[in-house]
Formats: sequence, C-alpha cells, structure tokens
Amino acid sequence: MQDVKTNKKVIDEGVEAGLAKLTPEKIASVINQVLEKETGARFKAYVQTCMRCGLCSDACSVFLSNDRAPQYSPAAKVKQTILEMINKKGRVSREFLSDAVRIAHTECNVCKRCSMYCPFGIDIAYMMLTVRRIIHKLEITPLYIQDTVNSHAATGNQMWVKQDEWIDTLQWQEEDAREEFEDLRIPLDKDGSDIMYSVIAPEPKFQAGLIYQMATIMHAANVNWTMPSTPGWDNSNMAMYTGDFETSGRIARIHYEAAANLHVKKIVMGECGHAFRSVYDVGNRWVGWTAPPIELIHAIDFYHFLLTTGRIKVKEKYKKSVTLHDPCNISRGRGLHHKAREIVNILCENFIEMTPNKEHNYCCGAGGGVINCGPPWKGTRMVNNKEKSRQLKRTGAQVLIAPCHNCHSGLEDIVEHYELGMEIKFFGDIIFEVMEKTIFEEGN
Amino acid sequence: MNDKILNDKSTWDWQTPEKQIPVKEWEDEFNWVQEPCASPDGESIAAIVNVDDAEFSVCKNGETWEETFEKAWALKFGPDGRLAALTASDEEWTVCVDGECWEGRFDYAWDLKFSPDGSFISAAIQQDSEYGMSVNDTTWETLYKNISGTLLGPLGNSAAVVQVDHMDQADIEAFAAGLFCVAVNGELQSERYVNIESICFDSTEEKTAFSIRRSRLDYSIATNSGPWKSNFQFAWEPCFINHGASIIAPVRQNGKWHLFKDDSDFWNRPFEQLWKPTVHDSTGKIAAVVSETFGRWGICENNTLLNFQCNTMISELFYSDNAELLIALFKDNDLWDLAVIRNGNVTPWGLKADKLWAPVISADTKIAATRMEKNNRYYLVVNGKVYQNDFDMMFEPAISPGSDKILLKAIKNGIYYRQTLSLDKVL
Amino acid sequence: MHSFIQFITGPMVWISFGICFIGIVFRLLQIFRLTREKENFMFTFLSVKFSLRSILVWLVPFLPVSTRKSPVFYAVSYIFHILLFLTPLFLLSHVILIEENFNLSWWTVSDWLADIFTVAVICALIFFAIRRRMVPEVKFLTGLSDYVFIILVALPFISGFIAYHQFFAYQWMVIIHVISGELMLILIPFTRFFHMILAPLTRAYTASEFGGVRHSKDW
Repeated sequence: MQDVKTNKKVIDEGVEAGLAKLTPEKIASVINQVLEKETGARFKAYVQTCMRCGLCSDACSVFLSNDRAPQYSPAAKVKQTILEMINKKGRVSREFLSDAVRIAHTECNVCKRCSMYCPFGIDIAYMMLTVRRIIHKLEITPLYIQDTVNSHAATGNQMWVKQDEWIDTLQWQEEDAREEFEDLRIPLDKDGSDIMYSVIAPEPKFQAGLIYQMATIMHAANVNWTMPSTPGWDNSNMAMYTGDFETSGRIARIHYEAAANLHVKKIVMGECGHAFRSVYDVGNRWVGWTAPPIELIHAIDFYHFLLTTGRIKVKEKYKKSVTLHDPCNISRGRGLHHKAREIVNILCENFIEMTPNKEHNYCCGAGGGVINCGPPWKGTRMVNNKEKSRQLKRTGAQVLIAPCHNCHSGLEDIVEHYELGMEIKFFGDIIFEVMEKTIFEEGN
Repeated sequence: MNDKILNDKSTWDWQTPEKQIPVKEWEDEFNWVQEPCASPDGESIAAIVNVDDAEFSVCKNGETWEETFEKAWALKFGPDGRLAALTASDEEWTVCVDGECWEGRFDYAWDLKFSPDGSFISAAIQQDSEYGMSVNDTTWETLYKNISGTLLGPLGNSAAVVQVDHMDQADIEAFAAGLFCVAVNGELQSERYVNIESICFDSTEEKTAFSIRRSRLDYSIATNSGPWKSNFQFAWEPCFINHGASIIAPVRQNGKWHLFKDDSDFWNRPFEQLWKPTVHDSTGKIAAVVSETFGRWGICENNTLLNFQCNTMISELFYSDNAELLIALFKDNDLWDLAVIRNGNVTPWGLKADKLWAPVISADTKIAATRMEKNNRYYLVVNGKVYQNDFDMMFEPAISPGSDKILLKAIKNGIYYRQTLSLDKVL
Repeated sequence: MHSFIQFITGPMVWISFGICFIGIVFRLLQIFRLTREKENFMFTFLSVKFSLRSILVWLVPFLPVSTRKSPVFYAVSYIFHILLFLTPLFLLSHVILIEENFNLSWWTVSDWLADIFTVAVICALIFFAIRRRMVPEVKFLTGLSDYVFIILVALPFISGFIAYHQFFAYQWMVIIHVISGELMLILIPFTRFFHMILAPLTRAYTASEFGGVRHSKDW
C-alpha cells in the first residue's frame, strides 16, 4: 500500500500516458470548447456569485480529514482547477492538469454536501464534474475508472461481465437459493412481470450471495418479478463520474429500454447509491427523460414497503448494536433516510445514531467515482477519509449498515485502515438473517 | 414446409368459439410450473416444469417432452408454432425445438431468437471461452473473444459485434486502439472500432450498417464497406432505406440531434432527442421518435412533426405491413397508451394502462388488437375498445385473415381459454 | 468645482441608478436567454415552492446548519447586509434630498442611530478584512479583488461619516462619498456585487433540485 505519510505524488499510468500526448494547443482548445459550448448561465452564475467566504469548507470531509488544510476546501478546489482554466483561457500546463485530475477525481466525492453549506447553494459538485468532463475530453482520466467506463461502453455493465457469465450466475444463485425454498426462482426475461430487479455488476462478479438473498426476499414476499438476461441488467454508471456523458446516457437508455421491453411496472434496484443517482436524475436527463420513464424504486424504499405491509415478517430482531450510514445519493439524493431509519427500527434492537446524519452525513469517502480510481489512489483516499473514521468510531456500534455498494467498499477500507473493528452490512444481509422464511399470501 | 402451413392463419380454427385447457392441475403433477406461453394459433400452451430435484422438462398441453434437463429457460413459441427452449444436460447447453435437441452442444447458449417467419432459430453461444452464434444448429466456424448485439435476419443471416483480440485487465490503450468488429455468419465484415452498436441488415442481408465509435470522442455510422467521413458527438441506430442504397441515422452535433442520410443532414432540423427511426421501404416512409423540447416526446414522419405529444416516453414506433398505419406505444403522465396514426392523423386510444403491449394489425389495417393490464387484471383491446372480460393473464391476440374475428388467448382461474370472438361482439 | 458637484449630485445620480437598473435587467435577460438556449432543462425542474421554502429558511438566522457552524461570521454578515441597505435608505439627509427633488419622503432613523449603523458597517468590513487575513481557508481563496470590494463598500460609509461630522476636508469627503456611492451602484451588475441578484437564483435552483427532485432539504 502507498505510504501516505511520505506524501509522494501518486503515479496513475492512465493520466501520465494521456498527459504525454497533449500539446498546449490541444489543451486550450478542449478547455475552451467545454467552457464555451458546454456550460451556460448556471456555470457563469456560480463563478460570479461565489464571494470566497470559505463557508463551504466545513462541509467537506476531505478538508476536515486533512486538518483543515486550505487547499482542500470545496471553493479552493474550484480555484485550483476551473477558475484557473478560465483565467488563463485554457492555457494551462500539464503539471496543472495533473493536479486538476487529482483534485477533481480523487479529492472530491461530488457528494453535494457543500451545496448545503454555501449560503448561495452553489453546486460545486457540478463544477468538479465540469473539470472531469474536460479531463475526459483530454483523455487523461485515471486508469481504473476509465477501464470501468470502457466496460460500460462495450458490454453495458461496469465489470466486463460477459452475457453468459451473467445468466449463468443468476441460474447458479437460483439453484443455491433453493436451499431456502425448493421452488424458488430467479425468473429471467419474464414478460409482463410487475418488477424488474436490476443490480450493479460487482454483484454477479464478486457478491453473488446478494442476488441469492434478494431472490429469497422476493420469493418470500411473493413478488411477481424478473431480471433481464439482456444488457440493461446493470444500473451502475461510472461514465457519469468521468464526464463521458454520451456513454452515461446510453447506459440509461439501455436500462430503461430493457424494462420497457419486459413491460414491467417498476424497476427495483439493489442497494447502490451512485447507480440510483445515475438512473434517477443524471443519465435519464441526458437522453431527454425528465424523470425515470419507468418508476424506479431503491432497495430501501422496496424493503420499507415489504416490511410495513407484512410481506416480509421479522422472526426475531437483530441483536447487535447497529449504526446507519446514509449514502449521499439516496439521502441527499432522494430523502430516503427517514424510511431507512424506520427499517432499522423494524429490524434491529439497538440502533445508535451517527452524527452528523441524514442529509448532513459525510460521504463514505469512496463515492463519486473516487474509489473507482483504483489502487494507486487508495493511500491518499485513506488520509482523506480520516474524518469519516472519527465519525464512525464515535458511534461505538458493532455493526455498520451501509445500503450502498460504493459506500460498502469504501467503509470496509476505512474500517480496516483505522482498525475500527466494525462489521459492515447491507440491509439485505440483515433482512435475510431475521426474516421468517415463509411465503406471503395476499389477504393473510 | 410444415411451419409455412402453420404460419398461414387461414388454416387455423376460427370456428370453435372456445377451447379450454386446464393448467392449474399441472401444479399437482409437477413440483412447480413456470410461467406459461401460448402458441400463435392458440392451440397450445406450454411451460417449463420441474419434474424432480434439478430435473426439468417442458409441458405442452399436458404432455411433457420425453427428455428432461438439468436446466431449461427461455421457452417460447416461434411465429411458425414451433416451441423452443435453451436447455442443459450433462452441463452442456443446446437449443431444444419441439423436444428435439440440436446436435451442437455448447458451454453456454443464450439469446434465443426466431426469424420473423420462424424458419430460423438462433442463439448466442460460448464454447471453451470463445463466442459466436448458431443458426438452425449450424455454428459459426470462427469464434471470438466476446459477443454482443446479436441480430438474426429474415433470410437466416446472423450478425453480431465481436471482440477480435484479447484485452489485458485495465488495458485502456488496447481498448482505445479498437477491439471490436462486426461479424456476419462468423466472418468479419468491418474494420476495428472502439465500440460498435445497433447492427442492421438491408433487405438482401448482404449489407450491414451500424453505429461506431472511432475514438473516445468521435462517433459515426459505418457499413460493411466502410464508415462515413464525418464524426459526430454520438450516433444512434441506423436504418437502410431505398432498398439498401442509402442509410439514415440519428446523429448528435453541437449538442442537438439530427437525422442524417448518407453522411449529410437529411431533415435539416435539430432536436433535443431523435431515436428509433423506423422505415417502410417500399413506400419510402420514415418516422422517428423525437423530442423538440426537453421532456416532451413526439413523432416526426417524413420531416413533418405529427400533432402528438406525451411526457414520459415512446417505447415503440412501427409501421403496419403496408405502411398505412404507424403505431406508437407511449407513456403519458406515467400511464401507458397507444396511438394509431393514419395519414398523419394521430388517434390515441386513451387506455391509461399499467402495462401495454404493441398491437397486432390486420392485413387490411382496419383492426389493431392488443392486451393490457390495468389494476392487476388483463384485458383485450381492439381498436381502442376494451373487451369487458378480464383475465389473470393474457397472451398476444390474433386477427383472422378476413378481419372478422379476434383470437383471444388468456388464463383465468387456472384455465387457459382459446376464444374466437366475432368482431361485432368485441367492438 | 461647483458645476462638478452639481453634476455628480444631479445627472450622475440618475446615470448611476440608470446603469445599475438597466444593467441588472440586461444581465437577467442575458441569463434567461443563455439558459433557454443551452440549459433549457433547468426550467423543468425550477420549483417556486421549493425555492421560496429554501430562501425563507436561509433568511432565518441560525436555522441552516451552516450558519450554526460559523455563528460569529453569520451574525456579523447578517447585520452587515441589513445595515448596508437600511442605513442609506433611511438616512435623514438622503431622504431630505429625495424630498427636495421629488416631494417624496419616508421614515428616517435618528442621526445617532445612523451613526451607530455606519460604524457597525465599517466594523463589519474590518472584520471581513481581518477574517480574510486570519482564517487559512478564507485566506487561500482571497485575492486582491476581495479587498478592493471591501474598500469600495467602505468608502461611501467612511466618507459619509466624516463628512457628516465635518471632521476634515468636508467638501472632498462629500465628493468621495457621492462618487464612491455611485461607483458601487454602477458596478453592481458587472462585478461580484451582482451576487445580490444571483444568489437567490442559484439558491432557487439548488433548492428546486434538492426539494423537488431529491426530496431532501438544502440547509
């Protein structure tokens, strides 16, 4: 692992190789093209409204983690990237761009917490995403996240999962889950189901057990559901985080068209935050859908429905003390933190609130595509997550519930690095553990 | 050929008012029964059934196929009435048609397709980690590193996007150099591109067109004989027109979408979105789903905006066989509806359905019939009129060759019904 | 000299207010047009309800979490912004000027209160300047222009205060007072002073996205 104390410059091969190919003319033309053609009044207003008051600083967990070093405040990130590009009319150096990549891709989780602390509500995440758009167009995006986007573009999923591997995994999980119910199914391409369930590619790739659990929950709740065997099964979208809006939009199209082809009423998606953001209000907008054209339900919302309508019954509450991490993209991004708390209280005996929480919770430190920049950046990510580790430690809880994949991975790194000794779980893990394994019948 | 006869609707039984097949009782016979499907002529209903621990078969009208399988899925009737499924025995996958399995065995098979008249059946296959397609049990001679976007033409030609070279983990340089080609019947037919999407055939199936990504930022359209010169910000699915002589495609320029024909602007007007171009070649009609202002969806036909808007989505747009009708399946205020367009006049049916399927259209285009779900009940809908009887489940209806009868196929209380309804009874 | 003073207290006032007003209208139209042209989707999401909800919340001192994180700054800033408008608007000598010219008048603050207001504004500006020097994250963001803004705002208040009390150079102080006040008006549409118009707009859009789309609060 990277020695974080030496503060050595992180070498990312993707960035370095891209920078080597750039000429000053190319740099200026790309930057000016994005600034002139792809931004509008909103961008100008943000630049002109900011009074450099620094109040956004306290919002940023990266700033707090770095002992309030001024260069990590949200406004400072703007100053060191996009403002400089504007002031110099795009005539910036490779060294500058190298720093801009580090700042925009690894020191900002585009979590939008700072928008809540800025008195003017300036969307600094949008400014950072504009920087990433420039980085994308200059082809200097960090290697690992670029590979993920390449996978999206080629396969429709983020982990190079081949179509047969996907279906095979579902069938294998279906077979295994017959341990729970002998006639359990993961119905593939079942036309006219009520619900299409979609996941992110790490599930079939590394965490197939989560599909097993969901299949058990669906079966017990007697839900008329299906999963697509075609592309569109993956709802994740790293392209929206690298500024590859074209690929991002196409992913959204594939996802919703898979659902439309199956004539389902709703899409239920697994416990993931960024994927929710991408299909709820990013990718869909690029193609022209103001809102999801097919109702989109996050797992928290779905579990809440199942638990409050008695479709899933709790046999015995979960005993260990738990705390809840509100993922940015579904609390600040969808206001699901209230339902999440109701679920915790239905499922668990001992809930310890984390502070700050709900809309004000800190990002897991992995979000916004930061963890997807991969191993080269892990060391600095751990430094940038110090404040998050303090927040987690203060709870003293045994179990940390994180209803988001990105958060899960990031928090696992934090728990390990800062030796917090917490167990991290999805809601699905806990529901699976405490639920009654009987099949719900309408009217009972 | 037998299937040609089955395809001929005049040979179907349009006289018997009702036939019933009890399906609920299958559940007593087998451990469990999966969702059923009905044949085009409505005479058969079939489902995958579990006969024993990890042992599956297909039950059609109460009779099971002789062979049992470790796994079976994707059961469907073809347009010719043949019943096919993807099945696995001894950990080898194949396609099984009417109980007869192909000789070809694969490590995996998926993406089961019928050609429009049912005479060709294709599947995507994987053998020893190499990928290709198999059509009527004839597998591509050359297999590739990966496959996507498969296409089966009416004449039986198969096409797909294939990965021609191995790529090391996270090798973004190799990716940027281009790893993908179009293969037709297993033979490479294009240059390498960064990405390839949306392959289509011309009517002879000798030509292919597809959208390409040349480099990270440059998208365009290409055919088997080469790409367009221009680069675009993005491109959606192309279509052949003029009997294969020309290609149209939606492309993005300066943040707006345009319909291009053979690399130059065709409709000469920008849209917020433009996709799903649909073509009726012999009449030269071209229509597409468009959005003029963000969040409002419409239809443009031969460069004329039709008097129609909805705010959620248009999921399907297609012409009847003679192009007299243009059909749009759309969603407005989050509820599904269907619009029938004749001579540019749009008639929405006003269904407000929870689920809705594309309609079947009679040869004289006087009748369009489909099924919908509303409040968890299924209904037959003919020319916008909802037939009173509701069902638990319904399959695609059919219209008699004389356009005087509707074939309803549905399930209620565990019984499958095949009813021939005279049109005046429905309308 | 006399005609110069007449010019700056006569036509120049009109010109300054005119530039300020027309400039604001022009800039707003420009923003509207640019948004229509390039980001038309923003109008789809703009919600009056959620915009007003958020703006109201942000007007209540110490309701938003952010204001509680920096209570001293917010308190000073809050008072400063109120007095910045209150003081010139209700100053007796300004109202008299208006009455003489337009036969219009309104309530005024007493002179001693006006003095306190003026001193408070000047102190707030000194506080801002010190904060820009002392707080590292603010210092990092601060450039020369930020001090220029502080001086521009301070000038009419300081010169007005000195002139009123006739400490020294009365005539020059009046001239500085009038010119700096007019300069501020002229600069409003074209500099970061424009945040007084833009801030409610940026807040409104963020509030609409947070409230209307994402069903959460933005404070």
